[in-house]
Amino acid sequence: MGNNAIECNNLTHYYGNKMVYENLNIHVKEGSILGLLGKNGTGKTTTINILNGFLQPRNGECLIYGENSQHLTPATKARIGFLIEGHIQYAFMNIHQIEKFYSGFYKRWDKEPYWELMSKLKVGKNQKISTMSCGQRSQVALGLILAQDPDLLILDDFSAGLDPGYRRLFIDYLREYAKTKRKTIFTTSHIIQDMERLIDDVLIMDYNRVLAQRNVHEFMRDFKQFYFEVEAPAINLSNEEFVANFEKIHNKIEIYTYESEKFVKGYLKKKGIAHTNFKKIEMGLEDAFIGLTGKY
Amino acid sequence: MWKSVAYKEWLKIRWFFILSTIFGVLAVGYIFLKVQYDFKFNDPNNYWYVLLFMKVKYFSILKFVPLIIGFAVSVTQYFPETVDKRIKLTFHLPINENKILLIMMLFGTACLLASSTLLTLIFYVLSTIYFPVDIIIPALISITPWLLSGFAIYYLVAFIILEPMWKYRLFYLVFASAIFPIFLESSIAGGFAPVNMSLAVLVIGLSISLLFSGYRFRKGEQ
Repeated sequence: MGNNAIECNNLTHYYGNKMVYENLNIHVKEGSILGLLGKNGTGKTTTINILNGFLQPRNGECLIYGENSQHLTPATKARIGFLIEGHIQYAFMNIHQIEKFYSGFYKRWDKEPYWELMSKLKVGKNQKISTMSCGQRSQVALGLILAQDPDLLILDDFSAGLDPGYRRLFIDYLREYAKTKRKTIFTTSHIIQDMERLIDDVLIMDYNRVLAQRNVHEFMRDFKQFYFEVEAPAINLSNEEFVANFEKIHNKIEIYTYESEKFVKGYLKKKGIAHTNFKKIEMGLEDAFIGLTGKY
Repeated sequence: MWKSVAYKEWLKIRWFFILSTIFGVLAVGYIFLKVQYDFKFNDPNNYWYVLLFMKVKYFSILKFVPLIIGFAVSVTQYFPETVDKRIKLTFHLPINENKILLIMMLFGTACLLASSTLLTLIFYVLSTIYFPVDIIIPALISITPWLLSGFAIYYLVAFIILEPMWKYRLFYLVFASAIFPIFLESSIAGGFAPVNMSLAVLVIGLSISLLFSGYRFRKGEQ
């Protein structure tokens, strides 16, 4: 078992009296890619801010390479690449100036991947970052992270504002880079279908709690959706222990569960719930996310 | 590392710094055009009498010049850091967060020092053409608080801009409004001699106030 690049223990945070989460534990193994998924307001950006030392949790701590994230040493900060939501960078600089600026801070600075990405962009030599499109800015931000050659990449909603082409380019570059060089990535994204191509492990958060934290392939294998139609629409299975989520429109039922098809059919038979058209629905990560967290 | 920080800060402030310093040089030039005019078209004896015995300041126009330069440098240097919370990028650099703020502050201070020195030198050299030391020394004493005001506004504006919460910004603004007028009090030429050292100490104290705003940002006060 590898070491943890990130280890958050009993993390608790409130905004005023509003609890974000209590006793949250997160572990990210070195060399793995973890996707933090959650609806708006479940604490994704709060977690990113705590990890980067921009927010002091009310209780608990996050350790990055064994150091408390509130007091990271410069040497550890040099090992962390950070992408701010919206691909924010020093917009008053052009691509030459920003490369020159950052190169002065990092011993392992390797400008080649940066310029390789920049060569794909149709930007002028002196064009300021502020005048670039969101997609172009994302490539600048990604190129700078690759040039920094960090061991851990923390990416806050990397897909925000990107069109499908740039999202795919970003993900393909990132996964290839991370897997080839055994980098660790902690990322959030609103566009969950992107995550499927990128992540190894998934952490799904709901309001005040963690719904799942495991390998994404195991999660996709074990978490299932079943559909059937019932004769008595008054049925409600939402309180059954094996049901992770229950959706009903008229007599059409969707059940999300970690149990097998055999188990669910057996349950329906045992309870005498007459049904037709029973089928297992294949899900993508986004479907599974919605299935687990609910539509509302 | 120092060079990289200085490079970034220079990219932000260069045009406003250069333009405001040129404005300052023009202001000093205007003072001596006026002095030349007064020498030529007024009675020189009377003019000297007014300056020597009535302690009238022939350089009053300089009063707000350092303030304008300090304000311009501070806004152009620190405001871009707050747009989209870019200060996060600065704090994420592999350098202690307080240290990088101090380097940024020292860079701005060095720029203000350079422009103040330039303006003072031009003022002094041109003064020696027209006036004896008895007039020049009180003049230099009188412009000292004005020069210090440039530094004070620079530090106070940094303190306010970097503060993450508007409520606190307003509070700091009230604090700044209470202490800033001290630097611009009206007085006869040379009248500020007894307080210049105290004002300098106050300015040095203000110089580190931005660390408090940076600390509040890092603790999540947003």
